[in-house]
Amino acid sequence: MTETVSPARLRVLFAFFASAMLLVSLRVGYWQTIGRAALLEGATDQVTSELVLGAQRGNIYDRTGAILATTVQLRSLYAIPSRIADRAAAAAALAPLLGTSSDTLRAALDSGAEWLYLRRRLPEETARAVEALGIGGLGFEMEPKRLYPGDTIAAQALGFVNDDGVGQNGVEGAYDEALRGAPGSLVVERDPQNRELAIGLRTAVAPRDGADLTLTLDLVIQTSVERALRAAIEKERATGGSAVVLDPRDGAILALASFPTYDPANVATADPESLRNRAVSWTYEPGSTMKAITIAAAIDQRAVTPETAYDDKGYAIIGGRRLNNALGKAYGRTTVTQVLERSANAGAVFVAQQLGAERLRAYLDAFGFGRRSGVDLAAEASGSVRPLAEWYPVDLGTIAYGQGVAVTPLQLAAAYAAIANGGTLYQPYVVATRRDADGEHRIAPVASGRPISPDTAATVRQMLVSTVDDGIAKGASLPGFSVAGKTGTAQIPSADGSYVSDEYISSFAGFAPASDPRFVAVIVLERPQSKLYGTVSAMSAFRAIAADVLREERVQPDRG
Amino acid sequence: MIASQAVRAAPRRRAALPRQPHAARPVRRRAAAGSVTWEVRTFVAVSAAIAFVFLLAMLYLSQATAVSTAGYEVQRLGAVRDELRRQNALLEVESARLDAPARIEAEAKRIGLVRVSTIPVVRIEAVAAKR
Repeated sequence: MTETVSPARLRVLFAFFASAMLLVSLRVGYWQTIGRAALLEGATDQVTSELVLGAQRGNIYDRTGAILATTVQLRSLYAIPSRIADRAAAAAALAPLLGTSSDTLRAALDSGAEWLYLRRRLPEETARAVEALGIGGLGFEMEPKRLYPGDTIAAQALGFVNDDGVGQNGVEGAYDEALRGAPGSLVVERDPQNRELAIGLRTAVAPRDGADLTLTLDLVIQTSVERALRAAIEKERATGGSAVVLDPRDGAILALASFPTYDPANVATADPESLRNRAVSWTYEPGSTMKAITIAAAIDQRAVTPETAYDDKGYAIIGGRRLNNALGKAYGRTTVTQVLERSANAGAVFVAQQLGAERLRAYLDAFGFGRRSGVDLAAEASGSVRPLAEWYPVDLGTIAYGQGVAVTPLQLAAAYAAIANGGTLYQPYVVATRRDADGEHRIAPVASGRPISPDTAATVRQMLVSTVDDGIAKGASLPGFSVAGKTGTAQIPSADGSYVSDEYISSFAGFAPASDPRFVAVIVLERPQSKLYGTVSAMSAFRAIAADVLREERVQPDRG
Repeated sequence: MIASQAVRAAPRRRAALPRQPHAARPVRRRAAAGSVTWEVRTFVAVSAAIAFVFLLAMLYLSQATAVSTAGYEVQRLGAVRDELRRQNALLEVESARLDAPARIEAEAKRIGLVRVSTIPVVRIEAVAAKR
């Protein structure tokens, strides 16, 4: 017997299924058209990941290609405590490798944290030793670390990179943008095991690595300068010091040292005072090294000649004030050349009076004092030369022998370089070439002026040679080479406007060989214990530096 | 009609045929052969199509699997390359550290070497004059 379904029921059933199909079709149609993007985005989000591709920070090399700073990926050790079977045993095993106590490690593992770093940026040998332990629940993550193979060598010139990856001080600070590069990104589909799918979606924007910099610094000369400066500071028990070595032919900085110093790879533990680059960011009253500048200006203006003489009474009266020679010595008839040889303050006052305040001020400006030299290092100080309108009559005399003005050791070195090279003031620079994706860019030396004529420069050079050969700077003489230079002893200004009692800054500025100068060096010692005789140690440091530089540069002796 | 139906249909048709005397067999064979041929042809064509599609699918899958496997291999080799580069960078740092003049000087001091006080320079003119 066959039962028949009523047509009405069939129509209802048909209508029901037809409606259902219509609804489903509409819904499917919606997701395939209007809602497609949202659906696709949701699905894509589940399988894709977006990574920031960090740019490699550029390397820094010395002029011979030796690595001064580079970035490497080091392994950071992390722990997932819940996955460590025996935390006490793990802490005991890790403690000697990480150089910490097992109690400290145990406390960290028992702190309740789900995930924590035990030590970041481990040395590779330590990371390997930890890995060899095979402790479950421990893992490694790569993190970039800026390394300086020379440790503290050239720390002040190089600067450092902070924890945020930002370069500070020195070259790292001045060229941070170029060194840092630009990060890229990678959007990629991943499988459930977090592996990239080769046939999946892949959108990559390549990172632009930072530029590599080649400096004008020479690692051998830098090491020599730091050794000599450190020895002088230790001998004098000085509170600090700095040294600059320039190539006078173009202003390239061959070495730059400053003490106290620091390890740029461990800035967190450094004394804040040690971070200051005393050759560039610190100013001092140069003292008698400034006499060469005063005399160069006067000779250039034909106000005096090397043979111009005056009667030295041991002092000079100017602006109603009496300015004495060091130790009150009276020399009698003294030529301008002997003013340098004897470092007579009264003689410098005499020369300045012949020149006049206006012209002296103009020459100080022409030699680059009172303004930044433009060196490509971070945080350069400008020094201080007061405007002429603020000069008291006595200032003409004191500034003539380097008191009442503030300079950086680098400014003084650049000024002496102008005397050494025939009268051209070059802007000191430390980066010789920059190499990036576009190729290698050489940085051309910049001549910022010609404060004195070549004839004047030659005359002053000879006078400075005489100062070393026959005068106060004999301690800087070097067998086989003609050396030009001048000592400087300056008092230290105090907060109340007077000078600190019985404390000095000793310095020496010179170059060699005087017949064809290949380097200029300025050495400054702060508060040497031998007081006025600190210049002896400064000259010893110069001599040691000169011997190494001339040997390194393969310079032939110019004297028999 | 799908292939399986074609296969099943043949026996039914054969069963429906009345038995014929032996003399008529060649004729019947030819007729049966004509009918089977069409069915077999259809079966073979559909089977071939299915096999072809299956092979195509297998080919695609094998290619996709190969690409995927190659992708994993590329990723693995990339990781190996990155690690070798890292090790190379570490070795370069170590080399620079060992080449540092300060370290060499310290090592020289440690083994008792001292700095020379003077370095004699032979002048070319003097040598030439003696020749």
